[in-house]
Amino acid sequence: MTAIAKGRRKHPTLNRFGPGAQAVFHGVLGLFSLLCIIPFVFVIIISFTSEESIRAIGYSFRPLSWSLQAYAYTFQLGDQLWRSYLNSFLITIVGTALSVGICVLYAYPLFRRDYRLRGFFNFLSFFTMIFGGGLVPTFVICKSVLGLSDNYAALIVPMLFSPFNVIIMRTFFQTTVPTELIEAATIDGSGEYGTLTRIVLPIVTPGIATIALLNALGYWNEWFLSLLYINKNMNIIPLQYLLMRMQRNADFLAKNSSMLGADASRAAMELPSQTLKMALVVFIVVPIACAYPFFQRYVVAGLTVGSVKG
Amino acid sequence: MKRIVSLFLTLAMLLGLCAAAQADDLPTITIMFHGSNVSDDSAVLEKVNEYIADKVGAKLEVIWGTWGDFDEKVVNTLVSGDSDVDMVFTCSWSADEYNSYAKNGYFVKLDDLIAEYGADLKAAIPESLMQAATIEGAEGMGIYAVNGFKDTATQNTWDVNVTLLNELGYTLDDVKNLGFYGFGEIFAKAKEVKGDSFYPFLVEPMVAERMVTNSIIIAGDAGSTNLLSLYLNPEDVSAEGAYGNQILNKFATPEYKAFVEKMHEYYEAGYINPALAVAETSNDTRTNAQKTADYLIGTQSYAYGYEFSADVLARGVEVAFVPCTDAYVDTTASQGAMMAISSASEHVEESFKFLALLNSDPYLMTLLNYGVEGIHYTLNDDGLVVFNADARATYSPWTNGMGNVTILPDTESEGKGFREAFKAYYAGAKAIPALGYVFDNSAVANEMAALGNVAAQYALALDCGATDPETELPKFLEALDAAGMQTYLDAANAQLAAYLGK
Repeated sequence: MTAIAKGRRKHPTLNRFGPGAQAVFHGVLGLFSLLCIIPFVFVIIISFTSEESIRAIGYSFRPLSWSLQAYAYTFQLGDQLWRSYLNSFLITIVGTALSVGICVLYAYPLFRRDYRLRGFFNFLSFFTMIFGGGLVPTFVICKSVLGLSDNYAALIVPMLFSPFNVIIMRTFFQTTVPTELIEAATIDGSGEYGTLTRIVLPIVTPGIATIALLNALGYWNEWFLSLLYINKNMNIIPLQYLLMRMQRNADFLAKNSSMLGADASRAAMELPSQTLKMALVVFIVVPIACAYPFFQRYVVAGLTVGSVKG
Repeated sequence: MKRIVSLFLTLAMLLGLCAAAQADDLPTITIMFHGSNVSDDSAVLEKVNEYIADKVGAKLEVIWGTWGDFDEKVVNTLVSGDSDVDMVFTCSWSADEYNSYAKNGYFVKLDDLIAEYGADLKAAIPESLMQAATIEGAEGMGIYAVNGFKDTATQNTWDVNVTLLNELGYTLDDVKNLGFYGFGEIFAKAKEVKGDSFYPFLVEPMVAERMVTNSIIIAGDAGSTNLLSLYLNPEDVSAEGAYGNQILNKFATPEYKAFVEKMHEYYEAGYINPALAVAETSNDTRTNAQKTADYLIGTQSYAYGYEFSADVLARGVEVAFVPCTDAYVDTTASQGAMMAISSASEHVEESFKFLALLNSDPYLMTLLNYGVEGIHYTLNDDGLVVFNADARATYSPWTNGMGNVTILPDTESEGKGFREAFKAYYAGAKAIPALGYVFDNSAVANEMAALGNVAAQYALALDCGATDPETELPKFLEALDAAGMQTYLDAANAQLAAYLGK
């Protein structure tokens, strides 16, 4: 104990390592960061590579020639591109707001020990994590029962509730909000809604931010719902689906080219180029990469804050 | 007061519903096409609905499936019994498997409807195609889809860059006479003239294998990597091949061994681009090289008139397609593009009337396939279709996926008389002895999955010549045996014998 106390006095930061260890850690983490960044840089480079260069030498960090062709082409996609881009934002913003609201409102009672049906609702959400209905029953419910077809709701509603997020949120409530605080609020005459909005929510902002980040990422990257539920109204598809469709078309033609014969060759000629796909990836990644630092502040904060200091 | 207002509102709502119902007295039928690139169909559908209102008694809506999404969409639609979709594309060669869906009761049996409303349809489509569609389905032997009259025969060809060939001092006759096993000397010359980075032999490895060994695809065999072979008689495709009507393990025959050995020799000599041996890059590499005519001899599964199509003309060199055999009608090709009516449809009769009309009425087929005259295309002085590129960019369905394409007008690039010749070419194609045979793999599905994995590991690299058959082929065969090749093979042969015995 005294040794530690002495050590602390000598070095202002307790968790200091020797220079050797520091170098190793920096090296490892630096390498890891590079592994994350390099693919993205590569994507950007490819998006600026000319088609001729790709044909000649394939993907390369040092292409034979540069070109803005892919971006020029994305702008020619015109309406569809911007509409899809806007849809992506719309779906993400509305979806995130609604799903976070639902998640908090579901998790809060589960954390309250004085709630009688706590066990039942806990089980109800947990159960769906283990046993899923499968794709077809889900499709039937969403399409025939809920009418989720060719509308924005079809791209938002199926992902509104996530049991996993509820568990994260409930645990966050449990670890950061002491029961005493709620009791104190009740004694001071606060109603249930007042307690939630004025006392609890300000404390759990980091938790909400974490959930919001997860949901925003989920909505932003979602394309499968569009594939399932959007048949006729292509005006409402998000950018991700636009990109996935190009990719899947290419994959399908590659897989079935020997069966489709001349038709496949003909269709493959109409497909957008590799560089265009990479340009779209850039379009998709940039906004969410920009949003990340804002959330990150809360996520990091979430590890350290609490309402009752020991 | 409240009560009066609510009563008034309810009344208004009911009236509104009535009005809506009256305006909408024709039922809507929905069709799901494959492989289309359509973003604006409003002008076309307006005309279509004008035209079919009396003839069919329904309004049409179209779901334009794209290549990549169609399989998933159709599975969901059929399995969930979605009554919003009345007609779907189906075929024998991808996950839209006609035979298994019909067997599982997802498609309506059409025989009675054909007898009642199908006179025009029967006149428009050759009897052989009707036969090819006749299978054992959920409601017994019958026709479960309207079979499209398109390039209904298979023909594999060498895709030759004639301009370059002539530059090298060879002619098309040399290609024909030398054949696959003799291409080496032309390739060597090409390499010498065009330099080291030029790859003269542009193969789709799996297609090349079938071309050289004269084997065909068995419908129902494992998807992307076929495991089974049925050998043709290259001299007369309607006669039995060297092994008779027997299905063989594709990779265990002497023909296969000879093929991969030669491919390995070509690969080692640098005639084949290594990117072709990698599944992820194979197709892109091939299409790109074709596009820029950066090859000497390639493989191409051929459809009549392909040499006149825009994408071949765009290569900017003279291209010729040298066939390995006559065109032959096999199950895969003769069930290549069909339209079935979903069992969940609430408008079966209207749907069938529509399909019958689409396949027999040139106006409707042209309208749906090429668009509206004056918007998507114009007719030139010879009466040939000239496409308007801008409008066509928002409306280009998959031509062959729609049905009877022989009733389409000729386009400018195809030239006058093209469709007639096309029709004659395929009407005259001979059928292979085992036509109509479809391997029902449901009893050996586990073996098929295991074998598919093994084949995915070895086949492409071997077919492309990238690995040495001396060491790899025995390993491959051993792995196949361990995964249950014999069981799989026996099941296929037992079914074939039963089919031919019938």
